[in-house]
Amino acid sequence: MDRVTTGIAGLDDMLQGGFVPNTAILVEGAPGTGKTTFGMQFIHHGIAQCDEPGIILTFEQFPRQYYRDAANFGWDFRRWEAEGKLRIMMTSPEVSQAFFQEAGGQIEQLTREVGARRILVDSISHFERLAADPVHLRQLVYSFINGLKREGLTAVLTRENVALLGEAEGQDESVPFIVDTYILLRYVEMDSAIRKALLVLKMRGSYHDKDIRRFTVTSKGIEVHSKFEGQEGILSGSPRRMAESFIEAFVRR
Amino acid sequence: MNDVTRRLMTDMDPDLLTFLHSKVTSFVKWDLIRFFHENPHTADTAENIARYAGRNVEMTEAELVELTELGVLVKNQLGSMVVYSLSNDPGIRDLIRRFAEASDDREFRRKAIYHIIRGMR
Repeated sequence: MDRVTTGIAGLDDMLQGGFVPNTAILVEGAPGTGKTTFGMQFIHHGIAQCDEPGIILTFEQFPRQYYRDAANFGWDFRRWEAEGKLRIMMTSPEVSQAFFQEAGGQIEQLTREVGARRILVDSISHFERLAADPVHLRQLVYSFINGLKREGLTAVLTRENVALLGEAEGQDESVPFIVDTYILLRYVEMDSAIRKALLVLKMRGSYHDKDIRRFTVTSKGIEVHSKFEGQEGILSGSPRRMAESFIEAFVRR
Repeated sequence: MNDVTRRLMTDMDPDLLTFLHSKVTSFVKWDLIRFFHENPHTADTAENIARYAGRNVEMTEAELVELTELGVLVKNQLGSMVVYSLSNDPGIRDLIRRFAEASDDREFRRKAIYHIIRGMR
């Protein structure tokens, strides 16, 4: 099966080579976990290594912020723009939604103009202000994702998770059902330090590694490392060593 | 201002002087032109553009309408929304680029401010 490689060291192995083409991937995490870096790396790798032009659809950050942040990793997004391999479009969820519904809308034009194969939507959380009703929100996001797929794009959608550690409460849970792949980025408190964990929770139509892996953001982008050994409760944000939890569960009772 | 000052202030690229007199007739227009130069693929409503620019919606909308009439922007009806984006006219885009690049120079900015204020009187 063809795969869309991410260029993120360690992740493509977890995904059996990469994402399934023409699918929607949700990358969710708390502020600063690396969601946008993940998406930028996906776009950069596509242009630099796979000859797959890309689009960044942003609902909050200005293009110059992407140029600056990408440059910190040695990714020259200004050059990709000048060479017609990248387009960064800042707009709002309501307008982008309307563009996808209209034949020949601006996003469609940009996609065809650069021959885009990849898109980063940063972030899908902004759709939440369009609909308070979860059913309506799910329909909006579903229709938006179908618009992306219709254009033949493999889409990374970022989503903010308000909880710095552990589970977020009150967050709409319908979006993970709509997407094909669901990746969680989490902070983990361990040995008096904050580390970062990555987990591929879901990947429709493909086997995937289910380990909870450490990852770091280096000067070259995201690198996914080995799984957390001998720990449990990683997703709670405050894991315990397995021996401690064993003692707690069986010895101190 | 005396004639010498006036002459000094008009000492700039004639295309840019014409652009200033005909299109950049207020500071909000200057901001919006710079915004669309930096975000050439943006297409959005007056309300959202005002938010991006950190400006009042009514004032921004009035200036967007004028910039559309002047051919700098184009307006599209998208369902119930009116959406503004940069004109695709290569001549306008080139003038905007030259204006934005010239605006990096302090002296040019001083002269541009002089012309905008004179035009607003």
